[in-house]
Amino acid sequence: MRSLVWFELKKMLSRRIAIAMNLGVVLLLAGVMALNVVQARTVSALDEVLSGADAIACVKAEREAHAGAVTPERAAADIAAYQDAAFADIDPDAVLEMTDAAAFSLVLETYGRENAAELNDPYWKTLLEPWHVDGQEPVQTAARVTPEMAADWYGAVAQMTQNALDDGQGGRWEYSEAEREYWTAKQGSVPEPMEYGYTGGWENIINCFAFLVFAILAVCVTLAPTFSFEYQSGSDAVVLATKHGRTRLVAAKILAALAYATAYFSLCAAIIAGVSLAFYGADGFWLSVQNISLSSPYPLTAGQAALVSIGLMYAACVGFACLTLALSSRTRSTLSVFVVDAVLVLLTGLLPSAGVGILERALALFPLNFSNFTMLFSALESYPVGPLVVDLVGMVAAVYVLLAIAAVPAAAASFRRHQVS
Amino acid sequence: MELTFDRLTKAYGVKAAVDCVSAQLGPGVHGLLGANGAGKTTLMRMACGVLRPTSGEVRFDGVPIERMGGGYRALLGYLPQDFGYYPEFTALDFMEYLAALKGIGRHAARERSLELLSAVGLAGEERRRIRTFSGGMKQRLGIAQAVLNDPAVLVLDEPTAGLDPKERVRFRNLVASFAQDKVVLLSTHIVSDVESIADDILVMKAGALAMKGTPAELIEAARGTVWEAEVSASEVEKLVARLAVANVRHQSDGSSIVRYVSDGPEVPRSVPAAPTLEDFYLYAFRDEAPFPSPGVSSRAARKGARHA
Repeated sequence: MRSLVWFELKKMLSRRIAIAMNLGVVLLLAGVMALNVVQARTVSALDEVLSGADAIACVKAEREAHAGAVTPERAAADIAAYQDAAFADIDPDAVLEMTDAAAFSLVLETYGRENAAELNDPYWKTLLEPWHVDGQEPVQTAARVTPEMAADWYGAVAQMTQNALDDGQGGRWEYSEAEREYWTAKQGSVPEPMEYGYTGGWENIINCFAFLVFAILAVCVTLAPTFSFEYQSGSDAVVLATKHGRTRLVAAKILAALAYATAYFSLCAAIIAGVSLAFYGADGFWLSVQNISLSSPYPLTAGQAALVSIGLMYAACVGFACLTLALSSRTRSTLSVFVVDAVLVLLTGLLPSAGVGILERALALFPLNFSNFTMLFSALESYPVGPLVVDLVGMVAAVYVLLAIAAVPAAAASFRRHQVS
Repeated sequence: MELTFDRLTKAYGVKAAVDCVSAQLGPGVHGLLGANGAGKTTLMRMACGVLRPTSGEVRFDGVPIERMGGGYRALLGYLPQDFGYYPEFTALDFMEYLAALKGIGRHAARERSLELLSAVGLAGEERRRIRTFSGGMKQRLGIAQAVLNDPAVLVLDEPTAGLDPKERVRFRNLVASFAQDKVVLLSTHIVSDVESIADDILVMKAGALAMKGTPAELIEAARGTVWEAEVSASEVEKLVARLAVANVRHQSDGSSIVRYVSDGPEVPRSVPAAPTLEDFYLYAFRDEAPFPSPGVSSRAARKGARHA
């Protein structure tokens, strides 16, 4: 069996198109991740544009300057301190009447570049996030926050979830009572107090894991001929007439396909994770995912969220690998197998949901659509399944596991029953 | 040891590619002769279990091969007509891969593969990729893989296609040395291949088994149907268009000796000639020709007999 698996691996990886695709995707990912580091940009407190490692270090320093547990008391005190600093020379009522650009200019002119930069620090944005309205500067948000509001910072954070549920994704989805309970309970399980800090490496993995779609495509290209080439080349007659041709060979093909898909996906994921952690740092694995987005109702750490993201992409990779095997076992055209894969992997990312919630939820299951932080961890994508509610994370995992479970026996049965003609 | 075809039929829609073929094949070399589209390849695929019959069955020692499954396939060696290979594999890779599929252990597989590659004239080419092989080399590799597991039943579909005369002789010797106590079913268009090594010959026409007999019996069946006549060079072309001409031999005096097959003399001054298997083949596969009678064992042959 081992030698059969080895020969199947050799068969699939010795094809020129497979070699080109696999190497090409690895090089592409390495290049994209190198650019991701080189092109990291930020503006320092001294208004210097920093890039690359300097930019990363600057962001890290900003975060670490405010690191620590955000207790309700600290949140209230820090918001009060922010308001004192922000409104020392500015009338809070006046900034509420301004546009965001005018408010920004006013802060800059009144306090100078360095102090203005401090007032726009991400920490304050995080603290003021529960009351933030799109198109407002932090000082404008701060002008609306009373000490009573600030004292119930975690209540305001919880209210963000309720507001999102009421908003129903901009009117596209009406949450059922079960869904509301599900998300409320999930948000309620987020540990308090939140530990503020730097999570750059893990955040970057989450920002970049969508590129693993290319690894899935490479896997599909490599596996597309697994069965169809046997039919196309006429070797089916030879192998199916052998002792193990209808038994162990099928198992060997499937094992080899899954082993290759796993190894190749791991390599690609290692490139993304390795570059991210090497250059952005591995700090903050245990810091909560709310450091990335306060509105996320998930009780996960940043590191766990990164692992979940990659894990879901791996599930999709295995699901598509198995689907490719099933399609390959049904046709002698390798190209048609790949076209189906490409449509499902790539084109579903371009289809608009046209504001239809159910279509959006269907499209959300495809890799290009679920592979971002917002969709997975803060958009409140849920699927009511009878009395149960499954979130996008659970649904993606379930769909691809079920796809794999259904496709593998289908591929095996199809090849075993194949008639040479 | 016996391979039995019991009313074996394969139909595609209303057309029967193989029509109720029955035969019992014991140890020895069984040639399968037939024109293109006669159903030889379909019959062989069913014999190998890679194509399910519409009706009827193939049995090995009385047991349906479908029931034997892997047990039957372990006894089988098969070289299909359009032999598929893996272009990036070396010859040795390919042999060892097939050995693994045939359940041969790794060490034995290496030894047997090298031995067989040498036997088919591919010694020294073991590490070459198959995509660099000529057609004849690929065919020899196919022959080698078919006998890897020392099969009890060897099915060879057009094994000599693409082989040069020397390679064909080598192949015939290989099959002859191999065939003892084994059932070998061999189809070919090259009559001389079966003439020299087949113990008996099955003749297929339009999906049915039209005749079965030893080469001598088939040759004997063609006796009285082979003629030779001396004609002028200008007549040759017309005769070739009108008759089943087996051979034309031009002579130094400008005349030609035309050898043709026919139920009776068709050219003045024709004299009977001693038939060969090739003459028989030509006679049997003239358009809609009724078959000579010995050893007939199928529906078509019965029909032919009734028509006669």
